[in-house]
Amino acid sequence: MILNDEVELVEGEPIAYIRPLKALVMADLHLGYEAAMAKRGMLLPHANLKSILSSIENASSVREVTTLIVNGDIKNDFSTVGQAESNELYDFCSRANALGMGLVLIKGNHDNFIERYREAFRFEVHRQEARIGDFLFFHGEEMPGSLGKLMVMGHEHPAIGIYDAAGRLEKLKCFLYGRYKGGNLLVLPAMNYFSSGTAVNIEPKGSLLSPLLRNAGVESMEAIALGYGSTLAFGKVRELRRIAAARHAGRRG
Amino acid sequence: MIEQLEKPFSEDDSLAVLNRYVRDWFSRNFEELTPPQRFSFKLISQGSNTLITAPTGSGKTMSGFLSIISRLFDYSLEGRLEERVYCVYISPLRSLNNDIFRNLTRPLDEIYGEIVKEKGVEVIKNNIQKVSIGVRTGDTTQQERRQQLAHPPNILVTTPESLAIMINSKRFVEHLKGMEFVLIDELHELAGNKRGVHLSLSIERLEEMIGRPVTRIGLGATLYPLDEAARFLVGTKDGRERDCKMVDASWQKKLDVTASSPVKDLIYTDGDAIEESLYKRIDSTIRANRTTLVFTNTRSGTERVIFNLKKRFGYGEEIAAHHSSLSRESRMEVEDLLKKGSLKCAVTSTSLELGVDIGSIDEVIQLGSPKSVTRAIQRIGRAGHSYKETAKGLVIALDRDDLVECAVMLDAARKRHLDSFSVPKNALDVLAQHIIGMSLTQKWDVDKAFEVVRRAYPYNTLDRHDFNALIEYLAGNYVGLESRRVYGKIWYDEKERTFGKRGALAQAIYMLNLGTIPDEVAVGVFKDKKWVGNIEEEFLARLKPGDIFTLGGRLYRFEYSKGMKCYVGDAKTSEPTIPPWYSEQLPLSFELANEIGEFRSRLSAALGKERGRAKRGGANDKAFALLDDMPVDANAKAAIRDYFTEQLSYAGVVPDNRLMLVEETQDLEKGTTLLVFHSLYGRRVNDALSRAFAIEIGETLDADVGMVVSDNGFVLDLGENALTKRQLEAAMDGLASANIATMLRHNIRKTEMMKRRFRHVAARGFMILRNYKGYKISVGKQQLNSQLLLKAVEEMDQNFPILKETYREILNDVLDLPRAQEVLAMIRKKEIRYRFIRTDVPSPFSHKMITFGHADVIMMKSRHQYLQRLHKSVMEQIGG
Repeated sequence: MILNDEVELVEGEPIAYIRPLKALVMADLHLGYEAAMAKRGMLLPHANLKSILSSIENASSVREVTTLIVNGDIKNDFSTVGQAESNELYDFCSRANALGMGLVLIKGNHDNFIERYREAFRFEVHRQEARIGDFLFFHGEEMPGSLGKLMVMGHEHPAIGIYDAAGRLEKLKCFLYGRYKGGNLLVLPAMNYFSSGTAVNIEPKGSLLSPLLRNAGVESMEAIALGYGSTLAFGKVRELRRIAAARHAGRRG
Repeated sequence: MIEQLEKPFSEDDSLAVLNRYVRDWFSRNFEELTPPQRFSFKLISQGSNTLITAPTGSGKTMSGFLSIISRLFDYSLEGRLEERVYCVYISPLRSLNNDIFRNLTRPLDEIYGEIVKEKGVEVIKNNIQKVSIGVRTGDTTQQERRQQLAHPPNILVTTPESLAIMINSKRFVEHLKGMEFVLIDELHELAGNKRGVHLSLSIERLEEMIGRPVTRIGLGATLYPLDEAARFLVGTKDGRERDCKMVDASWQKKLDVTASSPVKDLIYTDGDAIEESLYKRIDSTIRANRTTLVFTNTRSGTERVIFNLKKRFGYGEEIAAHHSSLSRESRMEVEDLLKKGSLKCAVTSTSLELGVDIGSIDEVIQLGSPKSVTRAIQRIGRAGHSYKETAKGLVIALDRDDLVECAVMLDAARKRHLDSFSVPKNALDVLAQHIIGMSLTQKWDVDKAFEVVRRAYPYNTLDRHDFNALIEYLAGNYVGLESRRVYGKIWYDEKERTFGKRGALAQAIYMLNLGTIPDEVAVGVFKDKKWVGNIEEEFLARLKPGDIFTLGGRLYRFEYSKGMKCYVGDAKTSEPTIPPWYSEQLPLSFELANEIGEFRSRLSAALGKERGRAKRGGANDKAFALLDDMPVDANAKAAIRDYFTEQLSYAGVVPDNRLMLVEETQDLEKGTTLLVFHSLYGRRVNDALSRAFAIEIGETLDADVGMVVSDNGFVLDLGENALTKRQLEAAMDGLASANIATMLRHNIRKTEMMKRRFRHVAARGFMILRNYKGYKISVGKQQLNSQLLLKAVEEMDQNFPILKETYREILNDVLDLPRAQEVLAMIRKKEIRYRFIRTDVPSPFSHKMITFGHADVIMMKSRHQYLQRLHKSVMEQIGG
């Protein structure tokens, strides 16, 4: 889906393509997730890395990509870099390099100690945010230090919740797209396979994670959802909130 | 061989097997042997595996215990009673365990007292020990546990869960090595569910550890089929059923039961007037008796009845509630008061159904249908404590379907047509737990382990591939080698074909996560950031924003939920949109549905003949004569007769279990087309059938089809579409030859139930540990998308044991797929016929299904008006 002259959302994937930079941008991969869960007593099948790599290949197959920007939370464990994490990091970085992509990482709140791997895995690390051309990339846990023509963030794991006829809540990961202080703001959905995300049209604004989204008026942002292999604009968050709340009114008590 | 004994032994023969002191004690305290005792004393003393079914109050417990006590005093008198466990008693209820402890302590004291009196100093000289008894449940303190490890009781009273923990402790198993008897009480509460499956494996493992056979004794109030219960009790050895003697002493207690309608006309009498009459009826029954026990089907109903009785008739402390949400202390207080006879009335949901000793009850009132004959007998059987007395029961129904159901149920109860139970077979999650448990105590040869597992009846047809897949899963072979250390719960040597314990923490992790009862995940409810109470996860799954529900007697409006927290606001209306019993309602059993079908066909035939005769100027008494034989009061008789007459006049046909009626009609409020299937095979079968029909007809019409399942059938909402007769016939033909197992698997894959059950099975199968190294977690709390987790598991392996078990549990334990397939086969063979009719207004027999799939008798006002409207439309058409 074409967002504007410069930005395209890769069909069915939680990835944006920035044409002038020849860059793919994604956020919240949480590599090492299954191993971290196993330490807490949950056996999850390994699915995250596999799905991320296939998304990247899918996105780069028909586009010219020289850079892969990870907008925070490439890994999961706060306190260390675990064995499984570093294995997955290695696989991830070598695949990106093999596809001819340079790696740029903006640190997220999960990315402690990531610098250790900068040399070995050949990636560029930015502590708070990175400005590349007119574009500002930041993770989103804190307010950005500056503004840009397009500001891209992650962290929130946005999704929308839709109730079907049987009253079942279905969550779809989504991009959020709107204006912020004279520029455009794009919020990326989580790359992580297991993350279902926060339904921004159901939960109250106050409960959002990112300070910027709490201030920015998420209600007037456009929700662009992905699922079942495609990417579709669902309209403004405000409208989706109204629909979710009115869903019950149509049926008999 | 499993055989049923018909002829009891004589009283003298029975008493002769007992030790003199025990016999004397018995004769001093009891005038005669009760029916089960005439069988059991001798059988058990011979060391036969014995299964006894007998009603509460028939000396059932003593029938199981006395021969054992006698044996132990023999040992004692011979000076060889050691400090170890000879008998393990298992019941599903802690409260029952405490009862048993109290009830056995007295005879043990008295018998020993006699011995001491007679033998004097010899007692010390000859080491004549007292037979000891001890209780071990989740409530047992650490100190008591240590005490038991140092001084094990001769008779150990415990629960299935505590037993499962004990058999994994090497030190405790040492004390069990001399065990001779295992006694399972309230077997009917265990044989049909995973708790019982878990127990059956514990017993086989225990017997294997002991190295010789143990005498197994099973006791139950209502067990049908009896031989299935016997197979469950004894299991197999070397591929052959172990011997078992079955005794059916359940025919002894007489029933005096009535199904009643509080008013003559259940349709047009004002809701308040019905309630008024209902409570008057309850009040007069309470006043006429010394003690009355009232059963409701839900906890909320219990509270409501207590509230109304106090408000309307000024009752005070002499009536009390007893249900599982109350604290243990308040429940025990109510039990004590009942025993002392100082309560006029106790109101309960299910918690007093089992054999907890509550003294003598004069009469039982049941509000609304208890949905199964077995449950009706159990509940009403609480009245008239001695087995010789008649149990008096009154069942009050508040709608006409319920009334028919209760009448047929009580009739079946009098004739002892019980509902059957079925044992869940080859449950892989429970087995996963036991394989880990087995690995804790020793190194196992895989073939040997498989053989031991197959001895338990729930696993006697276990597939070798499934067993191997479990070993692979538990050994962590589904993940890469490097993570096996983290994932693996056991080690497995493929060359040697052995497995054993992995990791120093294995024991502790196992003990913390063992059990089959899923964590009832409590969801906190918050209003303005303040906690106001908890609801169940299942209930939350039903809520949509804007729904109004009650909690602690107040109404709240659901706003949203996040993780395991639910956020609500004030409700501005006075009626809840989601009734609180939604997840509590019991399903109508297959057998009872069939009996209702039989009754329908008899009564409609009688009515048909009556009409023919009326035309010829004859008398109208056929139907009344038939109803006279039913256990119903005058109001009920009139209401049932009117109900059938209306159906027959309006639709020309009364559906029964041999005639499925498919009625195409419309929803009077929404105007959509409804397809009502009058299907009398019980709710679990209907649950399966409705999904299959919804899929098939949805494909025919190429549209989404909504559905509501209920006890007497199911309703498909076709929206704007309509179905022709030919299309229905094609769908029937299609389904009769289709593989509905595959269809249903596909259908349930996307449901909330699948996600929830998957989480439960994953927890039971140790894929997701609830307690792990200080973490207490649930998938819900992790905000993990269970949809994606399921997908990831499927991609890994379609036959992953946890996934396979989830489908098995849903299709066989929640729905009743096997019987649904039977019904379809009977349709194919034309043993069940079907008829397609069209009606402008839904026929009377479909009204309850249309107004609400589930209903509760205590709260019914909002539904009442719609029902009246439906009824009026019908009556206008038939000119009634």
